[in-house]
Amino acid sequence: MSCPAERRLRKELLELLTNPMPGIYIDEEKVAKNINEWIVTIEGAEKTIYEGETFQLQFSFNEKYPFDSPTVLFIGKIPVHSHIYSNGHICLSILTDDWTPALSVGAVCLSIRSMLSSATKKERPPDDMIYTRTCSKNPKKTKWFFHDDTV
Amino acid sequence: MSSSQTTTVNDPHLDNTTTTNNDTLPNNNSQEPSTSTDSSQYRSSTQYSFKPPPENSKTSTKPDLDDNEEEKRDDSMYVCNICLDIAKESVITMCGHLFCWPCLNCWLETKPQRQLCPVCKAAISKDKVVPLYGRNNEKQQDPRSKKSPPRPQAQRTEPDNSQNYQGFQSFGDAGFHLSFGIGAFPFVFFGSSFNFNDIRQRNGQNGSQFEEDQFLSKVFLWVAIIFFCWLILA
Repeated sequence: MSCPAERRLRKELLELLTNPMPGIYIDEEKVAKNINEWIVTIEGAEKTIYEGETFQLQFSFNEKYPFDSPTVLFIGKIPVHSHIYSNGHICLSILTDDWTPALSVGAVCLSIRSMLSSATKKERPPDDMIYTRTCSKNPKKTKWFFHDDTV
Repeated sequence: MSSSQTTTVNDPHLDNTTTTNNDTLPNNNSQEPSTSTDSSQYRSSTQYSFKPPPENSKTSTKPDLDDNEEEKRDDSMYVCNICLDIAKESVITMCGHLFCWPCLNCWLETKPQRQLCPVCKAAISKDKVVPLYGRNNEKQQDPRSKKSPPRPQAQRTEPDNSQNYQGFQSFGDAGFHLSFGIGAFPFVFFGSSFNFNDIRQRNGQNGSQFEEDQFLSKVFLWVAIIFFCWLILA
């Protein structure tokens, strides 16, 4: 029998493929090769400043998933947003401190999509330059300070 | 085939308490043993995907499919919020969210300093989850249960047999007598009779204290009577 993490990821995958969420697409080929690395494409929602744009998210799961949060990064074209650094790191509490095992890939995608949707202007975080130069490659190693509760 | 027969013969209890899954195929069960093997595997495994019935029972294909879909929907109510399987060794939090005990325990151990319900983030703790006991609970043994500590015990409070009696119990013995010495007359009589019964139950343990208590009881009773006589006369 596969390990619990893999088992749960397969269930999530099946659920997302049978009941797709609007604007969220999964790269099935990539996932089929390695269940612990997902590439998810999200579309900017209609009537928002990201309408018509698509972005790619990379999910990496470790064997402790779902008790440990996945590592989530934007890859390729990074959306310009006050909580997304130019290296793809996302400042979102549910990806670190507020993660719970009841969350899922779908829930994270939905949160990120709604975070994009609630933005009113395209700008980088104020500390983008410093952060991208000094941060670790793994966003989970960053000690995040969450100060914007409106998102 | 042979395994299914032995199951039916050797374990009648299991057969009596089969899930609806097996009940939907009562005719197939007697006619084709292979079908019953299928359904027993189906029952024991945690998969709940639809399995097509055998081809030669085409007349019953449609109702079977409906039953299975309905069952699938029913099952989804009992899915653990962590592993997304049907909850095994199920426990429910005070906020009403269902989990496998091994799953929830693992989560609580991951963040011992910040124990929150994974679904609604309500404060939870090991002592405040309630295990769910189904009819055939003991039979479903989860292999992970060996690794994780046993589920917390259910809490069961004894019902109150008599409200009066419990009220008296809350007083200490000395306080009991004193309060009735001052109290109204009918209550004195009432109280001391209760007290008498109570002491007689404990008689075997310490006889000397019983006598002393009874003596005191009588003294207070007489004091109360005299007090009342004085009240009435004066």
